[in-house]
Amino acid sequence: MAVFKRNYRQYDGPVTPAWSRFLILPRYAFKNVFRSRLLLVFYVLSFVPTIVFGAFIYLRHNATFLETFQVLPRDFMPVDAQFFFIYLSFQASLAFIITAFIGPGLISPDLANNALPLYLCRPFSRAEYVLGKMSVLIILISAVTWIPGLLLIFMQTNYAGLAWLTDNLRVPVAVLLASWLWIIVISLLALALSAWVKWRVIAGIGLFIIFFVLAGFGNTINVILGTQWGTLIDLASLITNIMHFLFMGEGLQGSIPVWSACLALAVLCALCLRLLNRRLQAYEVVR
Amino acid sequence: MSAPSLPAAPPQTEVPWSLWKSQVSGLLRLEVKKYLLSKRALLLYFLAFLPIFPFLIWNLRAMLVGDLPDIAQASMFYAGMFQTLMLHLVIFFACVITFTNLFRGEVLEHSLHYYFLCPVRREVLVVGKYIAGQFASWIIFLICVVISFCLVYFPYGGQGLDYFTSGPAIGHLLAYMGVTVLAFLGYGAVFLFTGLLFRNPIIPAIVIWIWEGINAFLPAMLQKISVSHYLISLCPVPLSGGPIRVIADPAPAWLSVPGLLLVTLAVLFLASLKIRHMEISYGGE
Repeated sequence: MAVFKRNYRQYDGPVTPAWSRFLILPRYAFKNVFRSRLLLVFYVLSFVPTIVFGAFIYLRHNATFLETFQVLPRDFMPVDAQFFFIYLSFQASLAFIITAFIGPGLISPDLANNALPLYLCRPFSRAEYVLGKMSVLIILISAVTWIPGLLLIFMQTNYAGLAWLTDNLRVPVAVLLASWLWIIVISLLALALSAWVKWRVIAGIGLFIIFFVLAGFGNTINVILGTQWGTLIDLASLITNIMHFLFMGEGLQGSIPVWSACLALAVLCALCLRLLNRRLQAYEVVR
Repeated sequence: MSAPSLPAAPPQTEVPWSLWKSQVSGLLRLEVKKYLLSKRALLLYFLAFLPIFPFLIWNLRAMLVGDLPDIAQASMFYAGMFQTLMLHLVIFFACVITFTNLFRGEVLEHSLHYYFLCPVRREVLVVGKYIAGQFASWIIFLICVVISFCLVYFPYGGQGLDYFTSGPAIGHLLAYMGVTVLAFLGYGAVFLFTGLLFRNPIIPAIVIWIWEGINAFLPAMLQKISVSHYLISLCPVPLSGGPIRVIADPAPAWLSVPGLLLVTLAVLFLASLKIRHMEISYGGE
């Protein structure tokens, strides 16, 4: 056929199912994410605490070890809600650093290079775009938070018996809920920053400013006014408060009520979604 | 046929200081405006004026409730705010934002080649951009220090005024301003260098931040390998610290100031060496 007779024909090959289209974005994003050797090393190192906590659970139930070193299981820290609260708090801080490194680079290049129309001209909605970008963080952070957390719980149940699990049924639920809360809050925050701040270094630093500088000012307000409501702008404390409630059944002592912490985080998430909604437009109509 | 030979460059006998000075002043005119008036400066303004907010609350509380602490305690309060919040958080992150982006920002905006194509030595470019960053930061943050310091003593009325006219307040204010300037000089040089060294300087910035943060709890020997140790030594009102804090002997001013300036010069020298071999690749960004 002559070249001039060729014209547009609709693509009639196999199509990705609509429900899984958002997964195309993480597939390509992972190639870029792990190009940084520094991040790769850090990500691998973030599994070390899981190995340490796993070894702790193993040694606590290892008769040969206990006999050799003449120690009793009660000499160890008990493997209970407190144990998993400490574990998850530690992993959450590592997840935060991973997010600060990866998150800001997810949306800003698409906006800076006017690539958004290339996504949205396809059968791919803005919600799927956000979900796709967010799933990069969800997958990576899940791998260092709730997945190894549940593995440790499985390991403990395996050694201590099903009775331990029935006595501590709150723990797996808390690990799952607290991890997802952390993942959703920091992912939305990172994506909103990535959408509004063109430079990813500044967006990454912005994440630190929001978490640490605002925390400092929240504490200052607490000191000046002799109150605890300054904690409302301290995101880390808000999440720790909720995590403590999920694991221990009560919020942090001397902090704001758990319902207000939940409300503050809900407002923050809604604000992030609104910022993303405003920024992620295929075209901007200028009148 | 042999290629026409280029005329040999005249041998340089003396260092062209006047040329470099005019080039640096040209860079200053161009850059300071960019750092003060561009959109990217908004984050700096936000950071700079955030510390004023708690002091406004302090004034509001004094007006409404009226139970003010002793004026000496107000000095302690300001010292705590300055050493923990302003120095460790606000000024530190302001330096990260300003100085890592002196060159990285140009790379991200695909505009660094304009500078490199100019007949300006790259070392002069480093110095010019560094001084421009310093000027812009000093203008914004010194205003913040002055306003916040005055706001602490404002509710005390006449007693506060006496503290300024016949008390040590002016000396304290000058010392805090000096520490702010030195903080920008020290951290600025470090982050200018990390901005040249790393494509994504977040991780080095975090490592330095953690190091500076845990500094007070490290052995006295290790405390000396940090900028904050020397800066806090220069603060006019010392803080007691917590129970697990290791109190290292504060460095004397005759050591702190020249020491910080020497470290700044050394890091700037390293940055100048680094930029000599820098190649631009916008494609990788």
